[in-house]
Amino acid sequence: MNIENGKRFLPEGRHLMMGNVAMAEGALSSGLKFFGGYPITPSTEVIEHLAVRLPQVGGICMQMEDELASINSVIGASLVGAKSMTATSGPGLSLMVETISMAANLEVPFVFCDVQRNGPGTGFVTEPHHNDIGLVRFSGNGEFQVIALAPMTCQELFDLTITAFNYAETYRCPVYILSDAYLGHLHEIVNVPPKEEIQKRVIDRELPTPDQFIKKFTYKDDITGELVIPKPPQMGTDYCPGMFLHQPHNYEGLPTPKPMQFMEAIMDKINKNKDKICITEQYKLDDANIVIIAYGLPVRSSYRAVDIARKENIKVGIFRLVTVWPFPDKRVKEVVKDARAVIVPELNYTGYVAEQVERVTKLDTPVIKIPKVCEFHHPDDILNIIREVAK
Amino acid sequence: MPDIGRMLPNEKPEHPYVIFSYGGSMYKNFATRFCSGCGYGIIGHIFTRIFEDEKLDPHLYPTIIGIGCYSQMLLLIHAKSQKILALHGRAPAVATGIKMANPNMKPIIFSGDGDCLGIGGNHFIHLCRRNLDCIIFIFNNSIYAMTGGQGAPTTLYGATSSTTPYKMFENRSDGVELALAAGATYVARTTVAHPRTYIKYFQKALNHKGTSVIEVITPCVTYFGRKNLDNLGAEYIEQEGEKMDTGGKMIDWIKKNTVRINQAKFMTEEELFNKYIIGEFRYQPDKPEYSEEYAKIQKIAMEEK
Repeated sequence: MNIENGKRFLPEGRHLMMGNVAMAEGALSSGLKFFGGYPITPSTEVIEHLAVRLPQVGGICMQMEDELASINSVIGASLVGAKSMTATSGPGLSLMVETISMAANLEVPFVFCDVQRNGPGTGFVTEPHHNDIGLVRFSGNGEFQVIALAPMTCQELFDLTITAFNYAETYRCPVYILSDAYLGHLHEIVNVPPKEEIQKRVIDRELPTPDQFIKKFTYKDDITGELVIPKPPQMGTDYCPGMFLHQPHNYEGLPTPKPMQFMEAIMDKINKNKDKICITEQYKLDDANIVIIAYGLPVRSSYRAVDIARKENIKVGIFRLVTVWPFPDKRVKEVVKDARAVIVPELNYTGYVAEQVERVTKLDTPVIKIPKVCEFHHPDDILNIIREVAK
Repeated sequence: MPDIGRMLPNEKPEHPYVIFSYGGSMYKNFATRFCSGCGYGIIGHIFTRIFEDEKLDPHLYPTIIGIGCYSQMLLLIHAKSQKILALHGRAPAVATGIKMANPNMKPIIFSGDGDCLGIGGNHFIHLCRRNLDCIIFIFNNSIYAMTGGQGAPTTLYGATSSTTPYKMFENRSDGVELALAAGATYVARTTVAHPRTYIKYFQKALNHKGTSVIEVITPCVTYFGRKNLDNLGAEYIEQEGEKMDTGGKMIDWIKKNTVRINQAKFMTEEELFNKYIIGEFRYQPDKPEYSEEYAKIQKIAMEEK
């Protein structure tokens, strides 16, 4: 199979793309080789686009019989050394969580595109609703950490998908891209960088040198005391454990009588690398005393609201979470330290991130949620709250 | 890993193939976790034997194991084969991913009656439908043995189990019929009482390009034999039954309760009730195989401008 086919990269320049297509193209640029999926609104365009594009680059796009099969085939392909991905929506994700938990145990790298839609149950299938934020963090049985990225433009869907694949290769944990029904169907300009530039960013699936073949799973180095995450093992090579057993295992993959050590390895490989994993952005935060913390689409409304409020001399700024999970506690704590109030506009009723923010703010700092379900935040919705707080 | 070697000391290997098995390579003995009278020992050793005799490349023949008692066969099968323990029922889906990502491989799937015909029925049907090049074994002991003897989709009519304490009244699911209907290209059924036939079918499946389904009838003494009488087959139903509480009695019952496919043609449905028909049901080597067909699609897509 020749993945270095000329068709892997889009020509450099500006392309008008749908969000789901941008995500698929981002995956192809980062060397996607296997896609296993099942059609579900609103993520169907991903599998439709990849069904055309993946065979062109020597990859495989399979429409499986159900979501359970698609995620399991993705795990299988990843174990053989193919970069793999699946895309689904909330109901599909709830079917897949069992396997995600297994993949987290075996440290199988894969990327998961969650194009979120309204729920619970079937819900309004074409309406955006960031209601899987809690599910992705606490999906599956057992304890494990995940990485979740929340893009807000089609450009970011392209770029962050590459980042997601790199995270999957580096940290060997489930990596989610939290898109939604609006974003997935949004048509925007995507600036595709030259292919050399993309190639430089991409971390390829490679075998380590033969002297590193013994340790295949995350372990604590005896001398330095730091966690080492080896490269993902590949079946069909010598760099493969005798058995992939999803029980607490040691670095060789054999069951260990010390589950605590195993737990430390799979939890702390994310917890201790938060500084490297978390991507955050700041907008007019330097002198702000009112802080808006948001992720995904509500950030775009917040920009407008902040610009208007600044004209009215209200000192307000935005702290944007590009990485929702792991939650960047330290940075948020730093930002909200002197804030008069924290506003968290979210496209859900619960306020999953607002709860996390409440965890790190002082007791007397109000955390104001702006819940919206199935509709976009109008800048006025946020502005009104800002004005009220600023009074 | 519990120290089974110390529990069952055995100084010299009794069997020439024992050192090739995973447990044997570590402890030099037949260390298994199976109950006495279980058929999985036979199956595991036949696998190891064929793996060694046929000189199968461990890099190209991964073993995907479902959840059931046979998950413990990890200790018995060839040490060099690369093994994955899949989730309950999902082994065919994992095998699909493996086979497609590396078409040179030929996955060998171990699954049981509950795993393959119960929870993973859908994946099994679609594996057969695609005619993906792999071998799938269905180890049928007509009970959910690992969880303590609950009724399975394959439990025979009239049998007792812990979830059918009075008697089993559901219709029985037939793995072979299902595989035939779904489109598998090599379908056979054998029992652990016929190990030579099993070896023959396994070798044939290894040389076959396409989905090979081999159902193996295997005894479960602890949860099936001890609770049931050996008059479960139709023609013995008037006879007074005897408890099948040893491996030997269960093997006898399996032999008594199986009918060869040639013989079955002349028997009525009533006579075949609760019987296992053994033999080769389909061999169709010329049907297109999925990964080869997909390679053709890739070629078309690559040439397209």
